[in-house]
Amino acid sequence: MFFDLNIKGSSLENNIKLAEQASEYGWEHINFSYNQNDFQNALKLKDELNDSLNSIISFDYTLEIKSTNINEIRKTVNKFRDRASCISVIGGNLKVNRAVLENIKIDVLSRPYLKRYDSGMNHILAKESLHNNVAVELCFKDILRSYLAPRAKIISNFRDIFTLYRKFDFPLILSSRAETIFDIKTTHDFVSVFKQAGLNDDEINKSFITAGDILEFNKNRKDLIFKGVRRVNDEA
Amino acid sequence: MRLKVLPPTLRKNNRYLTLDIKSTFPIAKDEFVNIIWDVCIRFQGECMTSNFNLWVMKFYEIEKTDEYIRYKSIVRCQRDFTENVRSSLALTYKYNGKAISITTVGLSGTIKASQKFI
Repeated sequence: MFFDLNIKGSSLENNIKLAEQASEYGWEHINFSYNQNDFQNALKLKDELNDSLNSIISFDYTLEIKSTNINEIRKTVNKFRDRASCISVIGGNLKVNRAVLENIKIDVLSRPYLKRYDSGMNHILAKESLHNNVAVELCFKDILRSYLAPRAKIISNFRDIFTLYRKFDFPLILSSRAETIFDIKTTHDFVSVFKQAGLNDDEINKSFITAGDILEFNKNRKDLIFKGVRRVNDEA
Repeated sequence: MRLKVLPPTLRKNNRYLTLDIKSTFPIAKDEFVNIIWDVCIRFQGECMTSNFNLWVMKFYEIEKTDEYIRYKSIVRCQRDFTENVRSSLALTYKYNGKAISITTVGLSGTIKASQKFI
């Protein structure tokens, strides 16, 4: 199943257009991402969006936190944890990368390589990611919207992350971060770009499964008493 | 004098990609040929692109909206390099400073079969 956990959400009309295009190109679930300032307003659109996209594609919301202040990130996560199906934090700053990967309440560290000369990941962060089950997200749009030397450097950063991924097996997800219908590609094209970057078929499939698992895990998060123990309603 | 046609075993094996193109400006077929060659050479390099055997077979205008003009095209490439061509074409986003998007919606072994994606 093809999941895209990061499509940039905006107005209702634009969201519908993006969702219809994504559905036409083979995507089965998308998450519209909003930052902490817009998320509250976006929740109000959810019912209308649900009516429009009911039979087209399944969707949900991602809270995308953009901040370099670790305390602010922690407070925002605590505030929105019950209302968002996925919480991601934009990386790039080493302190943010580390704080996010150590916080079990966060689902995704988005783009740890952003505005950096390296991948923003090392073996210690990779172990933290695995230990706290915080996924690392790589965005297709970063390759799409760059060219020549910057594109080569981003692909090189991806390869560094793939090397750590193969050794430590932390959760890795791939997303498009599409803003307009020009940024949405067919699922096969999306897969073939990441294949060219150095992933193989199994690893790409696993990344989609990881994305699905995050959504599934967060559906049951309120029943989670502590790690490994969950309240169930099954009387048998 | 024309060259004699190669026997089937010595011919290159082709695949036909059906492309969905959205652009904010009108494109002619010749311009489209330039776009796909440029993007392949930029992403894969000259040496790799020489293997692709690229050829634009068909080019149709499908619809015009306020936001974009939509075209569909059938492009020939060599059998073992379809993934390389697809990924290169998917990474097109601008031409002469104007927005364009190309994505592959179908892959087939004959032109006739690829018409069903149009």
